[in-house]
Amino acid sequence: MAMDALFLLLPISLLFVLGIGVAFWWAIFAGQFDDTRDAATAILDDDDRPHPGEA
Amino acid sequence: MTDAMRSARRHMLARTGLAWLVMMQVMMLAFPGYLRHGARAPDAQQSLEQAIVLMNWLSLILCVPLVLYCAWPVWRGAWRALSRWRVGMDVPVALGILAAFVPSVVATWRDAGEVYFDSVSMFVAFLLTARFLETCARQAVSGQARGGSDAELLHAADRLAFRFVCAQILLAVLVGLYWWNVQPDQAVAVTVALLVMSCPCALSMSVPAALAARHAASLRAGDAGVPDAAALDRAMRRVARQNLHGSLAWHLLMAPLAACGWVQPWVAAITMLLSSLAVAANAWRLSRLPPGAAAERRPTVRRANAMPG
Repeated sequence: MAMDALFLLLPISLLFVLGIGVAFWWAIFAGQFDDTRDAATAILDDDDRPHPGEA
Repeated sequence: MTDAMRSARRHMLARTGLAWLVMMQVMMLAFPGYLRHGARAPDAQQSLEQAIVLMNWLSLILCVPLVLYCAWPVWRGAWRALSRWRVGMDVPVALGILAAFVPSVVATWRDAGEVYFDSVSMFVAFLLTARFLETCARQAVSGQARGGSDAELLHAADRLAFRFVCAQILLAVLVGLYWWNVQPDQAVAVTVALLVMSCPCALSMSVPAALAARHAASLRAGDAGVPDAAALDRAMRRVARQNLHGSLAWHLLMAPLAACGWVQPWVAAITMLLSSLAVAANAWRLSRLPPGAAAERRPTVRRANAMPG
């Protein structure tokens, strides 16, 4: 019956939501959303001069 | 940005993001409830009713962390205001959440009556989104408010919002009592819609957003070498005035519709988000002003002023 599938699938979806919430929480407090603007241009501001120690 | 500001912004982002996650789940789970009053075979109707009970319980489980964690700043702010015998911005919001959440919990427990979990989660998510934008705007201008006139403008807007909140709570209570006497099954929905609408999100965001946009515009103008502070100030005041008048007009337009029972709580929550986003977008327009434009606009304004006189 359709109802039996619901009883299985809805708790699974609840677990997924929990996992996504925890991952999102971790990402925020790891600082991943602190600077969303400068990260995109950081590669352009790179220092391209050759390192003095390398040949 | 100081550590305290960064931490505050992270916490707000976490609460806002989790509220959006919960909101999307609860909206999905609320869907069978909207199908309840259609015509179908008795056995199909029975399994639909079973599904609705299951989904109401899941919505309840999802809404508990939303109400306790995501809406925590609202409870804190409301408690602070009430313990000093005052009515802050958080009081109508707290009342709105309680007025929708408690009857829904009771209805789920008793398996009878309407649930408003979708309205609760949408209200909290949209409210936190508006607050997050406001926090970003206030943080961008902290320490940069230019002297007394900016502080005065901020204070005037806050005072206006406060008076509006008092009037709206009174209206919600009176209209709720009226509906309770005339049509009790509609009373909760109408009261919740009015309380959702009484939240002055757009109103309290209008001036800080304009100040932040002026700050961003003056940085850009400074880069281009044409900082015209006076013209920018005028543009900022114009945007702040537009924001204030626009959000007031939204309140005045929506409140009668909600009082008549034509606005569902979730529609009220969506229009609340739209008004906040409109305020933010209007302020953003100012910060995108090309550096020369503020200066060019001045002669036109003068001519317009000179014409009638």
